[in-house]
Amino acid sequence: MTEPLLDVRDLSVDYLTEKGDVHVLHQVNFAVAEREFVGIVGESGCGKSTLLFAVAQLLSPPGEVVGGEVIFRGRDMVRLHGGELRHLRWRDYSMVMQSAMNALNPMKSIGGQFKDALEAHGTQSREEIQSRSREVLELVGIDAVHLGSYPHQLSGGMRQRAMIAMALLFTPQLVIMDEPTSALDVVAQQSLMTKIRELQQRLGFAVLFVTHDMSVVSRYSDRVIVMYAGQIAESAPTEAIFERPLHPYSRGLMNAFPSIRGPRREMAGIPGSPPDLANPPAGCRFHPRCPEAMDICRTREPALYDRDGAKVRCLLYTEEGQLPAEPARETQSS
Amino acid sequence: MSDEPQTPQTDENEPLLRTGGLSRHFGLGGLFSKQVLHAVDDFDLTIAEREIVALVGESGSGKSTVARLLARLYKPTKGEIRYRGRSLASLRSRKDVLWYRGEVPIVLQDPFSAFHPVFRISHGIMRNLALHRPDLSRDERRREAERVCEAVGLSPRMLTRFSYEMSGGERQRIGFAQALAVRPKLILADEPVSMLDVSIRAGVLNMMAGLRDREGVSVLYITHDLASARYVADRIVVMYAGHQVESGPTETVLSDPKHPYTQLLLSAVADPREKHTELSADTGEPPRVVNPSEGCRFRARCPFAIEKCGQVTPRLEPIGEAQVACHVAAARGGAAGSSDAAPVTHP
Repeated sequence: MTEPLLDVRDLSVDYLTEKGDVHVLHQVNFAVAEREFVGIVGESGCGKSTLLFAVAQLLSPPGEVVGGEVIFRGRDMVRLHGGELRHLRWRDYSMVMQSAMNALNPMKSIGGQFKDALEAHGTQSREEIQSRSREVLELVGIDAVHLGSYPHQLSGGMRQRAMIAMALLFTPQLVIMDEPTSALDVVAQQSLMTKIRELQQRLGFAVLFVTHDMSVVSRYSDRVIVMYAGQIAESAPTEAIFERPLHPYSRGLMNAFPSIRGPRREMAGIPGSPPDLANPPAGCRFHPRCPEAMDICRTREPALYDRDGAKVRCLLYTEEGQLPAEPARETQSS
Repeated sequence: MSDEPQTPQTDENEPLLRTGGLSRHFGLGGLFSKQVLHAVDDFDLTIAEREIVALVGESGSGKSTVARLLARLYKPTKGEIRYRGRSLASLRSRKDVLWYRGEVPIVLQDPFSAFHPVFRISHGIMRNLALHRPDLSRDERRREAERVCEAVGLSPRMLTRFSYEMSGGERQRIGFAQALAVRPKLILADEPVSMLDVSIRAGVLNMMAGLRDREGVSVLYITHDLASARYVADRIVVMYAGHQVESGPTETVLSDPKHPYTQLLLSAVADPREKHTELSADTGEPPRVVNPSEGCRFRARCPFAIEKCGQVTPRLEPIGEAQVACHVAAARGGAAGSSDAAPVTHP
């Protein structure tokens, strides 16, 4: 197997607060291959946005990486210092923020902001800046005349597209997106995601994106990572997880949204609320809400187990759950 | 004179709520500007007792303006709203207004900013009770607060909490509990679940259905999520750019959408439980309707537009069980896009 583009190993992030450290991420392991489209889902507060910020090395205090590595193209980004990161950022990986439509500078034209980014990475010639700016804007389906437009002259959907165009200025290998479409309407969301997917396949970059919209994940991503309380609960190919979710939490999620076609079914939701990360429950972090909790779940912390091509953090898939499986490679380090 | 706000003259034969030609326009620009934004135009809506009506559309389609008109937060530019046969414009005294606000409360979209952080949760509910049901004693009010808390699936112990100690789902339930405390007949719910996580949305939706079934309350459920509308609503009303484009029983509208806009909305919803369908490449957005001329407002995005669409504004006409405002659909007596020519076909 070739080296993955991004390899996150045992990544832990704490928020250092006056009341003590909150363990927002606890030993997160996953990899993103080249040209892969990976979606991360989970409830608010499960650490999914923190994970993206930690991967992009954009965490600011009180957040801090307290352990683990983020290997991007063979280099550990956690150990790179500011100057080295600056060269990588935007050129090799870029990030589209949540509510990206408000992330543009209101005082500068779209073209002016593209120019700044290009110049920061050493593109000096005016012709080159012009042609590249036009190219990326047209790539996302916006007419190049809008290079002269200011953000307030564009609609929400167009601003979001412009932001994505900006992320593609240097054809990065990895584009990180934090809820790229959550501020948009269904129709705009669908057309934007289709555009991203099309560009991703044409230009061959990998996408790591966070969302809480299950229908978006199901339609666009190759693989889904389900997060719960700062840990990966399950990671599996999209089709597998929607057809046969393994983790009880994933199953709960699958049963928590209504269907637009087919028979009407009663939805259950997941009773209870996510745990306080300053003081997570002992054993499995999901056990207080889990309909299938066993006695051992209260005391023993599950690792990520390999099962049918998926990884799942649940004791049901161990000898105790009578569903034996061998522990996954990544979980043996401590 | 009893302290309880008395029911003003109403007509029991009328539907619970009915609007006729409801319009709301906003002036844009400076003092001498002649630009007028048509947020809602000629909107006819009927809500019966014990009925959940879903009002769906993209943002900017005028859904929230309708809710605000019904809540008397805006005055209509044209048209009228009748509640049990009585025109809202005739409610003038404080007593009448209080009566209407008690019968038709509104639950807002954002549960994180809807509560006063300084007061306990009980404060809002008790205040509502004191204002709208002054005949209750202090003890009765306390018991009533506990009852509504249980009706929305929360423990009465929650009453002593502060809003910041609660999760989004719990707060949204408290929003409904506050509304319930005044013994409403119709709750206006403006995107009540859009800010909530998937795992708790189901709970709030089930609660709404429960209020209808157990307490006999009607709900105007405003949303852009067709799947959740399908889950709870008896009837669906689709809005586009201030106009009603289609309405009818939920299953009829969603299984056989007649208006091209409804078809587009449906095609944009991916169903995770299904195989992937081909996606339409529509990149349009709803227009801001400033000083509109005659004609269908959807025609610029419509794959079936004909000449007439630019000249005459289509009116709602019955097609089967649904009401549809589309020239093409009306001419065919069926869906604007026939099953083999639809912009997106579903297997």
